[in-house]
Amino acid sequence: MPHLKRVAAGKGDLTDPKQKVTEAEAIERAKQGDEGAFETLYQLHKRRVYSLCLRMVSNPSQAEDLAQEAFLQLFRKIGTFRGESAFSTWLHRMTVNVVLMQLRRKALPSVSLEETLDTEEESSRKEFGADDLKLTGSIDRMQLTRAIDHLPPGYKTIFVLHDIEGFEHNEIAEMMGCSIGNSKSQLHKARLKLRDSLRSMRAEKARKTG
Amino acid sequence: MTCSDVQQVLPDIVDGDAEFQSHLDSCPACSALVADLRLIAAGAQELAEAEQPPARVWVNIANQLRAEGIIHDPGPVSVRPALLPSRPRRSIVWWLAPVAAAVLAAVSYQVAHKQQPFQTKVAVQPATQQPAQSVTASQTPQSTPAELASPATKHPQQLAQDRTPSSSKTARPADSKVEENRVAAEVSPPASAEDQRFLTEVSERTPGMRSTYENQLRAVNGEIRDTLEFVRRHPGDIDARQHLLEVYQQKAMLYQMALDRIQ
Repeated sequence: MPHLKRVAAGKGDLTDPKQKVTEAEAIERAKQGDEGAFETLYQLHKRRVYSLCLRMVSNPSQAEDLAQEAFLQLFRKIGTFRGESAFSTWLHRMTVNVVLMQLRRKALPSVSLEETLDTEEESSRKEFGADDLKLTGSIDRMQLTRAIDHLPPGYKTIFVLHDIEGFEHNEIAEMMGCSIGNSKSQLHKARLKLRDSLRSMRAEKARKTG
Repeated sequence: MTCSDVQQVLPDIVDGDAEFQSHLDSCPACSALVADLRLIAAGAQELAEAEQPPARVWVNIANQLRAEGIIHDPGPVSVRPALLPSRPRRSIVWWLAPVAAAVLAAVSYQVAHKQQPFQTKVAVQPATQQPAQSVTASQTPQSTPAELASPATKHPQQLAQDRTPSSSKTARPADSKVEENRVAAEVSPPASAEDQRFLTEVSERTPGMRSTYENQLRAVNGEIRDTLEFVRRHPGDIDARQHLLEVYQQKAMLYQMALDRIQ
Protein backbone atom coordinates (compact mmCIF):
# COMPACT_ATOMS: atom_id res chain seq x y z
CA MET A 1 0.00 0.00 0.00
CA PRO A 2 1.48 3.36 -0.97
CA HIS A 3 0.46 5.01 2.28
CA LEU A 4 1.93 2.39 4.57
CA LYS A 5 5.38 2.79 3.10
CA ARG A 6 5.27 6.45 4.03
CA VAL A 7 4.03 5.74 7.54
CA ALA A 8 7.01 3.47 8.10
CA ALA A 9 9.23 6.50 7.93
CA GLY A 10 7.75 7.93 11.09
CA LYS A 11 6.95 6.88 14.60
CA GLY A 12 3.83 4.89 13.74
CA ASP A 13 5.63 2.09 11.96
CA LEU A 14 2.80 -0.07 10.85
CA THR A 15 5.09 -2.28 8.84
CA ASP A 16 6.23 -3.56 12.23
CA PRO A 17 4.15 -6.70 12.92
CA LYS A 18 4.24 -6.04 16.66
CA GLN A 19 2.70 -2.63 16.21
CA LYS A 20 0.08 -4.01 13.81
CA VAL A 21 -1.02 -6.41 16.55
CA THR A 22 -1.17 -3.54 19.01
CA GLU A 23 -3.31 -1.55 16.61
CA ALA A 24 -5.64 -4.48 15.95
CA GLU A 25 -6.09 -5.03 19.68
CA ALA A 26 -6.69 -1.35 20.22
CA ILE A 27 -9.35 -1.28 17.52
CA GLU A 28 -11.25 -4.14 19.14
CA ARG A 29 -11.05 -2.58 22.56
CA ALA A 30 -12.03 0.80 21.19
CA LYS A 31 -15.20 -0.76 19.80
CA GLN A 32 -16.03 -1.58 23.43
CA GLY A 33 -15.53 2.04 24.44
CA ASP A 34 -12.12 1.63 26.05
CA GLU A 35 -10.53 5.04 26.47
CA GLY A 36 -7.01 3.65 26.57
CA ALA A 37 -7.59 1.96 23.24
CA PHE A 38 -8.74 5.20 21.65
CA GLU A 39 -5.68 6.91 22.98
CA THR A 40 -3.43 4.18 21.61
CA LEU A 41 -4.89 4.68 18.16
CA TYR A 42 -4.52 8.42 18.50
CA GLN A 43 -0.87 8.16 19.53
CA LEU A 44 -0.11 5.85 16.62
CA HIS A 45 -1.50 8.21 14.01
CA LYS A 46 -1.51 11.71 15.47
CA ARG A 47 1.61 12.97 13.71
CA ARG A 48 0.49 11.83 10.30
CA VAL A 49 -2.97 13.31 10.66
CA TYR A 50 -1.83 16.60 12.15
CA SER A 51 1.01 17.04 9.66
CA LEU A 52 -1.38 16.50 6.77
CA CYS A 53 -3.81 19.06 8.14
CA LEU A 54 -1.04 21.57 8.79
CA ARG A 55 0.44 21.23 5.32
CA MET A 56 -2.95 21.73 3.73
CA VAL A 57 -4.07 24.78 5.68
CA SER A 58 -0.75 26.25 6.89
CA ASN A 59 -2.38 27.36 10.12
CA PRO A 60 -1.59 25.49 13.38
CA SER A 61 -4.84 26.42 15.09
CA GLN A 62 -6.98 25.32 12.15
CA ALA A 63 -4.84 22.21 11.78
CA GLU A 64 -5.55 21.29 15.41
CA ASP A 65 -9.29 21.66 14.85
CA LEU A 66 -9.17 19.62 11.67
CA ALA A 67 -7.07 16.86 13.22
CA GLN A 68 -9.46 16.74 16.14
CA GLU A 69 -12.44 16.50 13.81
CA ALA A 70 -10.82 13.77 11.73
CA PHE A 71 -10.16 11.61 14.78
CA LEU A 72 -13.63 12.25 16.17
CA GLN A 73 -15.29 11.24 12.91
CA LEU A 74 -13.19 8.12 12.78
CA PHE A 75 -13.80 7.15 16.40
CA ARG A 76 -17.53 7.66 16.05
CA LYS A 77 -17.54 5.13 13.24
CA ILE A 78 -15.05 2.69 14.67
CA GLY A 79 -17.78 0.18 15.29
CA THR A 80 -18.21 -0.14 11.55
CA PHE A 81 -14.55 -0.86 10.78
CA ARG A 82 -14.30 -4.40 9.51
CA GLY A 83 -10.63 -4.58 8.63
CA GLU A 84 -11.03 -5.03 4.90
CA SER A 85 -8.62 -2.16 4.37
CA ALA A 86 -5.82 -0.85 6.55
CA PHE A 87 -6.97 1.31 9.44
CA SER A 88 -4.39 3.92 8.51
CA THR A 89 -5.80 4.12 5.01
CA TRP A 90 -9.27 4.68 6.41
CA LEU A 91 -8.02 7.39 8.73
CA HIS A 92 -5.95 8.98 6.05
CA ARG A 93 -8.85 9.23 3.63
CA MET A 94 -11.10 10.59 6.34
CA THR A 95 -8.56 13.26 7.22
CA VAL A 96 -8.26 14.36 3.62
CA ASN A 97 -12.03 14.55 3.32
CA VAL A 98 -12.29 16.63 6.47
CA VAL A 99 -9.67 19.05 5.19
CA LEU A 100 -11.13 19.30 1.72
CA MET A 101 -14.58 19.94 3.18
CA GLN A 102 -13.09 22.77 5.19
CA LEU A 103 -11.34 24.23 2.19
CA ARG A 104 -14.53 24.07 0.15
CA ARG A 105 -16.54 25.59 2.98
CA LYS A 106 -14.12 28.48 3.01
CA ALA A 107 -14.45 28.72 -0.77
CA LEU A 108 -10.72 28.23 -1.16
CA PRO A 109 -9.92 26.57 -4.46
CA SER A 110 -8.55 23.15 -3.67
CA VAL A 111 -7.83 22.77 -7.33
CA SER A 112 -7.57 25.90 -9.35
CA LEU A 113 -8.49 25.27 -12.95
CA GLU A 114 -6.98 28.57 -14.03
CA GLU A 115 -3.61 27.32 -12.99
CA THR A 116 -3.77 24.59 -15.56
CA LEU A 117 -4.01 27.12 -18.37
CA ASP A 118 -0.43 28.37 -18.41
CA THR A 119 0.69 29.25 -21.88
CA GLU A 120 3.16 26.95 -23.51
CA GLU A 121 5.71 29.75 -23.64
CA GLU A 122 5.48 30.35 -19.93
CA SER A 123 5.84 26.66 -19.24
CA SER A 124 8.92 26.43 -21.39
CA ARG A 125 10.55 29.42 -19.74
CA LYS A 126 9.95 27.99 -16.31
CA GLU A 127 11.22 24.53 -16.88
CA PHE A 128 14.80 25.18 -17.89
CA GLY A 129 16.91 26.97 -15.37
CA ALA A 130 20.47 28.13 -15.42
CA ASP A 131 23.08 25.74 -14.10
CA ASP A 132 24.36 28.20 -11.57
CA LEU A 133 20.97 28.31 -9.87
CA LYS A 134 20.31 24.61 -9.71
CA LEU A 135 19.57 23.02 -6.38
CA THR A 136 22.39 20.90 -5.09
CA GLY A 137 22.76 18.67 -2.11
CA SER A 138 19.87 18.29 0.29
CA ILE A 139 16.98 20.68 0.60
CA ASP A 140 16.64 22.73 3.74
CA ARG A 141 13.47 21.47 5.44
CA MET A 142 12.46 24.88 6.76
CA GLN A 143 12.85 26.43 3.33
CA LEU A 144 10.85 23.67 1.71
CA THR A 145 8.09 24.05 4.32
CA ARG A 146 7.97 27.77 3.72
CA ALA A 147 7.92 27.31 -0.03
CA ILE A 148 5.05 24.82 0.23
CA ASP A 149 3.12 27.25 2.42
CA HIS A 150 3.38 29.85 -0.32
CA LEU A 151 2.13 27.62 -3.09
CA PRO A 152 -1.24 28.54 -4.58
CA PRO A 153 -3.98 26.44 -2.91
CA GLY A 154 -4.59 24.14 -5.87
CA TYR A 155 -0.91 23.32 -6.35
CA LYS A 156 -0.41 22.91 -2.63
CA THR A 157 -3.22 20.40 -2.26
CA ILE A 158 -1.99 18.16 -5.06
CA PHE A 159 1.63 18.40 -3.95
CA VAL A 160 0.79 17.58 -0.34
CA LEU A 161 -1.40 14.65 -1.30
CA HIS A 162 1.07 13.14 -3.78
CA ASP A 163 4.60 13.94 -2.72
CA ILE A 164 4.11 14.22 1.03
CA GLU A 165 1.21 11.89 1.74
CA GLY A 166 1.88 9.33 -0.96
CA PHE A 167 -1.48 9.18 -2.70
CA GLU A 168 -1.41 8.02 -6.33
CA HIS A 169 -2.79 10.21 -9.08
CA ASN A 170 -5.85 8.02 -9.58
CA GLU A 171 -6.67 8.36 -5.87
CA ILE A 172 -6.16 12.11 -5.96
CA ALA A 173 -8.35 12.41 -9.02
CA GLU A 174 -11.12 10.53 -7.25
CA MET A 175 -10.85 12.63 -4.10
CA MET A 176 -10.57 15.95 -5.89
CA GLY A 177 -13.04 15.28 -8.65
CA CYS A 178 -10.50 16.01 -11.35
CA SER A 179 -8.81 13.97 -14.06
CA ILE A 180 -5.59 12.00 -13.61
CA GLY A 181 -3.99 14.21 -16.24
CA ASN A 182 -4.98 17.30 -14.30
CA SER A 183 -3.51 15.86 -11.13
CA LYS A 184 -0.20 15.13 -12.87
CA SER A 185 -0.13 18.55 -14.46
CA GLN A 186 -0.85 20.36 -11.19
CA LEU A 187 1.83 18.33 -9.42
CA HIS A 188 4.38 19.14 -12.07
CA LYS A 189 3.63 22.84 -11.88
CA ALA A 190 3.77 22.71 -8.09
CA ARG A 191 7.24 21.18 -8.20
CA LEU A 192 8.41 23.78 -10.70
CA LYS A 193 7.13 26.61 -8.54
CA LEU A 194 8.83 25.10 -5.52
CA ARG A 195 12.05 24.87 -7.46
CA ASP A 196 11.81 28.55 -8.35
CA SER A 197 11.05 29.48 -4.74
CA LEU A 198 13.91 27.44 -3.36
CA ARG A 199 16.36 28.86 -5.84
CA SER A 200 15.23 32.36 -4.92
CA MET A 201 15.64 31.63 -1.24
CA ARG A 202 19.11 30.26 -1.77
CA ALA A 203 20.08 33.23 -3.91
CA GLU A 204 18.76 35.59 -1.25
CA LYS A 205 20.65 33.75 1.44
CA ALA A 206 23.83 33.80 -0.63
CA ARG A 207 23.46 37.55 -1.14
CA LYS A 208 23.05 38.16 2.59
CA THR A 209 25.96 36.01 3.63
CA GLY A 210 28.12 36.97 0.68
CA MET B 1 15.36 13.11 -28.62
CA THR B 2 15.22 16.83 -27.85
CA CYS B 3 14.70 18.91 -24.74
CA SER B 4 11.19 19.69 -25.94
CA ASP B 5 10.42 16.01 -26.15
CA VAL B 6 11.62 15.57 -22.60
CA GLN B 7 9.55 18.51 -21.47
CA GLN B 8 6.37 16.78 -22.66
CA VAL B 9 6.99 13.80 -20.39
CA LEU B 10 8.90 15.46 -17.60
CA PRO B 11 6.48 14.42 -14.85
CA ASP B 12 6.87 10.76 -15.79
CA ILE B 13 10.64 11.06 -15.94
CA VAL B 14 10.78 12.63 -12.50
CA ASP B 15 8.60 9.85 -11.14
CA GLY B 16 10.93 7.16 -12.41
CA ASP B 17 10.40 6.55 -16.12
CA ALA B 18 13.86 5.64 -17.44
CA GLU B 19 12.90 5.82 -21.09
CA PHE B 20 14.69 9.12 -21.69
CA GLN B 21 17.79 8.44 -19.64
CA SER B 22 20.04 8.62 -22.65
CA HIS B 23 19.00 12.24 -23.26
CA LEU B 24 19.46 13.12 -19.61
CA ASP B 25 22.96 11.66 -19.71
CA SER B 26 23.87 14.00 -22.51
CA CYS B 27 21.92 17.15 -21.55
CA PRO B 28 23.09 19.02 -18.43
CA ALA B 29 20.09 21.36 -18.39
CA CYS B 30 17.48 18.62 -18.50
CA SER B 31 19.53 16.50 -16.13
CA ALA B 32 19.77 19.33 -13.60
CA LEU B 33 16.05 20.04 -13.86
CA VAL B 34 15.09 16.42 -13.31
CA ALA B 35 17.53 16.15 -10.43
CA ASP B 36 16.03 19.23 -8.79
CA LEU B 37 12.47 18.03 -9.14
CA ARG B 38 13.40 14.62 -7.74
CA LEU B 39 15.16 16.30 -4.84
CA ILE B 40 12.02 18.27 -4.06
CA ALA B 41 9.85 15.14 -4.20
CA ALA B 42 12.29 13.29 -1.92
CA GLY B 43 12.43 16.19 0.52
CA ALA B 44 8.66 16.24 0.69
CA GLN B 45 8.56 12.65 1.91
CA GLU B 46 10.41 13.72 5.04
CA LEU B 47 7.57 16.03 5.96
CA ALA B 48 4.89 13.35 6.24
CA GLU B 49 5.12 13.04 10.03
CA ALA B 50 7.18 16.06 10.84
CA GLU B 51 4.69 17.82 13.08
CA GLN B 52 3.50 16.96 16.57
CA PRO B 53 0.07 18.15 17.69
CA PRO B 54 -0.19 19.77 21.11
CA ALA B 55 -1.46 17.68 24.03
CA ARG B 56 -4.76 19.56 24.18
CA VAL B 57 -5.87 17.91 20.92
CA TRP B 58 -6.15 14.52 22.63
CA VAL B 59 -7.72 16.05 25.72
CA ASN B 60 -10.41 17.67 23.59
CA ILE B 61 -11.01 14.45 21.66
CA ALA B 62 -11.30 12.41 24.85
CA ASN B 63 -13.67 14.90 26.45
CA GLN B 64 -15.89 14.91 23.40
CA LEU B 65 -15.93 11.12 23.17
CA ARG B 66 -16.88 10.96 26.81
CA ALA B 67 -19.61 13.51 26.36
CA GLU B 68 -21.03 11.50 23.48
CA GLY B 69 -20.87 8.29 25.48
CA ILE B 70 -18.46 6.67 23.04
CA ILE B 71 -15.89 6.24 25.77
CA HIS B 72 -17.49 4.08 28.43
CA ASP B 73 -16.56 4.58 32.04
CA PRO B 74 -15.23 1.40 33.64
CA GLY B 75 -18.01 -0.73 35.17
CA PRO B 76 -18.63 -0.76 38.92
CA VAL B 77 -15.58 -2.06 40.67
CA SER B 78 -15.63 -4.39 43.64
CA VAL B 79 -14.37 -2.59 46.67
CA ARG B 80 -11.06 -4.21 47.44
CA PRO B 81 -9.72 -5.95 44.34
CA ALA B 82 -9.85 -2.94 42.01
CA LEU B 83 -7.84 -0.83 44.39
CA LEU B 84 -5.22 -3.33 45.41
CA PRO B 85 -2.10 -3.05 43.30
CA SER B 86 -1.81 -5.89 40.78
CA ARG B 87 1.74 -5.03 39.91
CA PRO B 88 4.56 -3.20 41.62
CA ARG B 89 3.87 0.48 41.82
CA ARG B 90 6.33 3.28 41.88
CA SER B 91 6.89 4.32 45.48
CA ILE B 92 6.29 7.93 44.63
CA VAL B 93 2.56 7.34 44.03
CA TRP B 94 2.09 4.68 46.72
CA TRP B 95 -0.35 6.82 48.64
CA LEU B 96 -2.95 7.11 45.84
CA ALA B 97 -4.45 3.61 46.07
CA PRO B 98 -4.66 3.39 49.90
CA VAL B 99 -6.37 6.79 50.08
CA ALA B 100 -9.04 5.73 47.62
CA ALA B 101 -9.35 2.30 49.25
CA ALA B 102 -9.76 3.78 52.74
CA VAL B 103 -12.45 6.17 51.62
CA LEU B 104 -14.35 3.48 49.79
CA ALA B 105 -14.05 0.98 52.63
CA ALA B 106 -15.38 3.48 55.16
CA VAL B 107 -18.40 4.34 53.08
CA SER B 108 -19.07 0.71 52.17
CA TYR B 109 -19.04 -0.23 55.86
CA GLN B 110 -21.51 2.51 56.61
CA VAL B 111 -23.87 1.49 53.88
CA ALA B 112 -23.65 -2.24 54.51
CA HIS B 113 -23.65 -2.39 58.30
CA LYS B 114 -24.90 0.80 59.88
CA GLN B 115 -27.91 1.89 57.88
CA GLN B 116 -31.26 2.14 59.67
CA PRO B 117 -34.24 0.12 58.37
CA PHE B 118 -36.17 2.18 55.91
CA GLN B 119 -39.48 3.20 57.45
CA THR B 120 -41.25 5.68 55.24
CA LYS B 121 -40.87 7.38 51.88
CA VAL B 122 -38.09 9.56 50.63
CA ALA B 123 -38.04 13.15 51.81
CA VAL B 124 -39.31 15.43 49.12
CA GLN B 125 -39.61 19.09 48.46
CA PRO B 126 -42.95 20.88 48.52
CA ALA B 127 -44.81 20.22 45.30
CA THR B 128 -43.96 23.58 43.75
CA GLN B 129 -40.24 22.88 43.95
CA GLN B 130 -40.34 19.22 43.29
CA PRO B 131 -38.37 17.82 40.39
CA ALA B 132 -40.25 15.47 38.09
CA GLN B 133 -38.40 12.36 39.23
CA SER B 134 -39.66 12.77 42.81
CA VAL B 135 -43.33 13.23 41.98
CA THR B 136 -44.09 9.53 42.26
CA ALA B 137 -42.48 9.36 45.67
CA SER B 138 -44.45 12.24 47.12
CA GLN B 139 -47.75 11.06 45.79
CA THR B 140 -47.45 7.54 47.12
CA PRO B 141 -47.10 7.77 50.85
CA GLN B 142 -47.16 4.02 51.10
CA SER B 143 -44.34 3.53 48.57
CA THR B 144 -41.78 0.94 49.35
CA PRO B 145 -38.11 1.53 48.69
CA ALA B 146 -38.34 -0.54 45.53
CA GLU B 147 -40.94 1.81 44.08
CA LEU B 148 -38.98 4.94 44.75
CA ALA B 149 -36.61 6.58 42.33
CA SER B 150 -33.42 4.57 41.96
CA PRO B 151 -30.08 6.23 42.58
CA ALA B 152 -29.59 6.40 38.86
CA THR B 153 -32.51 8.77 38.46
CA LYS B 154 -31.93 10.62 41.66
CA HIS B 155 -29.32 13.03 40.36
CA PRO B 156 -27.11 14.59 43.03
CA GLN B 157 -28.25 18.00 41.89
CA GLN B 158 -31.73 16.85 42.68
CA LEU B 159 -30.45 15.52 45.98
CA ALA B 160 -28.81 18.85 46.63
CA GLN B 161 -32.13 20.54 46.02
CA ASP B 162 -33.90 18.28 48.49
CA ARG B 163 -32.44 19.99 51.47
CA THR B 164 -35.35 21.61 53.25
CA PRO B 165 -36.52 19.30 55.97
CA SER B 166 -39.77 21.19 56.55
CA SER B 167 -41.84 19.00 54.26
CA SER B 168 -39.90 15.88 54.99
CA LYS B 169 -42.06 12.91 55.64
CA THR B 170 -39.25 10.68 56.71
CA ALA B 171 -39.83 9.42 60.19
CA ARG B 172 -36.57 10.11 61.88
CA PRO B 173 -35.33 7.89 64.59
CA ALA B 174 -35.06 9.53 67.95
CA ASP B 175 -31.27 9.58 67.80
CA SER B 176 -31.17 11.01 64.30
CA LYS B 177 -28.81 13.78 65.29
CA VAL B 178 -26.38 11.30 66.75
CA GLU B 179 -26.68 9.22 63.61
CA GLU B 180 -26.02 12.29 61.46
CA ASN B 181 -22.88 13.14 63.37
CA ARG B 182 -21.59 9.59 63.20
CA VAL B 183 -22.14 9.42 59.45
CA ALA B 184 -20.44 12.76 58.97
CA ALA B 185 -17.45 11.74 61.04
CA GLU B 186 -16.95 8.38 59.35
CA VAL B 187 -17.56 9.26 55.74
CA SER B 188 -16.02 12.69 55.34
CA PRO B 189 -14.29 13.10 52.02
CA PRO B 190 -10.50 12.85 52.02
CA ALA B 191 -8.65 15.98 52.99
CA SER B 192 -8.13 18.38 50.08
CA ALA B 193 -4.39 18.15 50.62
CA GLU B 194 -4.57 14.63 49.18
CA ASP B 195 -6.35 15.92 46.13
CA GLN B 196 -3.67 18.55 45.71
CA ARG B 197 -0.95 15.93 45.92
CA PHE B 198 -2.86 13.89 43.38
CA LEU B 199 -2.99 16.81 40.98
CA THR B 200 0.66 17.60 41.57
CA GLU B 201 1.60 14.05 40.63
CA VAL B 202 -0.59 14.19 37.53
CA SER B 203 1.01 17.51 36.54
CA GLU B 204 4.47 16.06 36.86
CA ARG B 205 3.77 12.79 35.10
CA THR B 206 1.19 13.75 32.49
CA PRO B 207 1.00 17.56 32.35
CA GLY B 208 -1.47 17.53 29.50
CA MET B 209 -4.04 15.72 31.66
CA ARG B 210 -3.98 18.03 34.66
CA SER B 211 -6.89 20.22 33.65
CA THR B 212 -9.00 17.18 32.78
CA TYR B 213 -8.40 15.56 36.15
CA GLU B 214 -8.80 18.85 37.96
CA ASN B 215 -12.22 19.40 36.39
CA GLN B 216 -13.31 15.84 37.08
CA LEU B 217 -12.07 16.02 40.65
CA ARG B 218 -13.92 19.26 41.20
CA ALA B 219 -17.11 17.73 39.83
CA VAL B 220 -16.91 14.55 41.88
CA ASN B 221 -15.99 16.44 45.07
CA GLY B 222 -19.00 18.65 44.52
CA GLU B 223 -21.23 15.60 44.19
CA ILE B 224 -19.72 14.09 47.32
CA ARG B 225 -20.30 17.29 49.24
CA ASP B 226 -23.93 17.60 48.11
CA THR B 227 -24.73 13.93 48.66
CA LEU B 228 -23.04 13.93 52.04
CA GLU B 229 -25.07 16.91 53.08
CA PHE B 230 -28.26 15.10 52.09
CA VAL B 231 -27.25 11.93 53.89
CA ARG B 232 -26.54 13.96 57.02
CA ARG B 233 -30.06 15.33 56.91
CA HIS B 234 -31.67 12.06 55.92
CA PRO B 235 -29.58 9.28 57.43
CA GLY B 236 -32.33 6.74 56.95
CA ASP B 237 -32.43 7.25 53.20
CA ILE B 238 -31.06 4.05 51.64
CA ASP B 239 -31.03 5.46 48.14
CA ALA B 240 -28.99 8.44 49.24
CA ARG B 241 -26.48 6.24 51.04
CA GLN B 242 -26.19 4.06 47.95
CA HIS B 243 -25.66 7.11 45.82
CA LEU B 244 -22.98 8.35 48.20
CA LEU B 245 -21.19 5.03 47.82
CA GLU B 246 -21.38 5.30 44.05
CA VAL B 247 -20.00 8.83 44.07
CA TYR B 248 -17.07 7.70 46.20
CA GLN B 249 -16.57 4.84 43.78
CA GLN B 250 -16.36 7.40 41.00
CA LYS B 251 -13.64 9.25 42.87
CA ALA B 252 -11.78 6.01 43.47
CA MET B 253 -12.03 5.26 39.76
CA LEU B 254 -10.61 8.68 38.99
CA TYR B 255 -7.57 7.90 41.13
CA GLN B 256 -7.32 4.46 39.55
CA MET B 257 -7.39 5.93 36.04
CA ALA B 258 -4.61 8.32 36.98
CA LEU B 259 -2.58 5.46 38.41
CA ASP B 260 -2.99 3.49 35.20
CA ARG B 261 -1.93 6.44 33.15
CA ILE B 262 1.00 7.43 35.32
CA GLN B 263 2.56 4.00 35.23
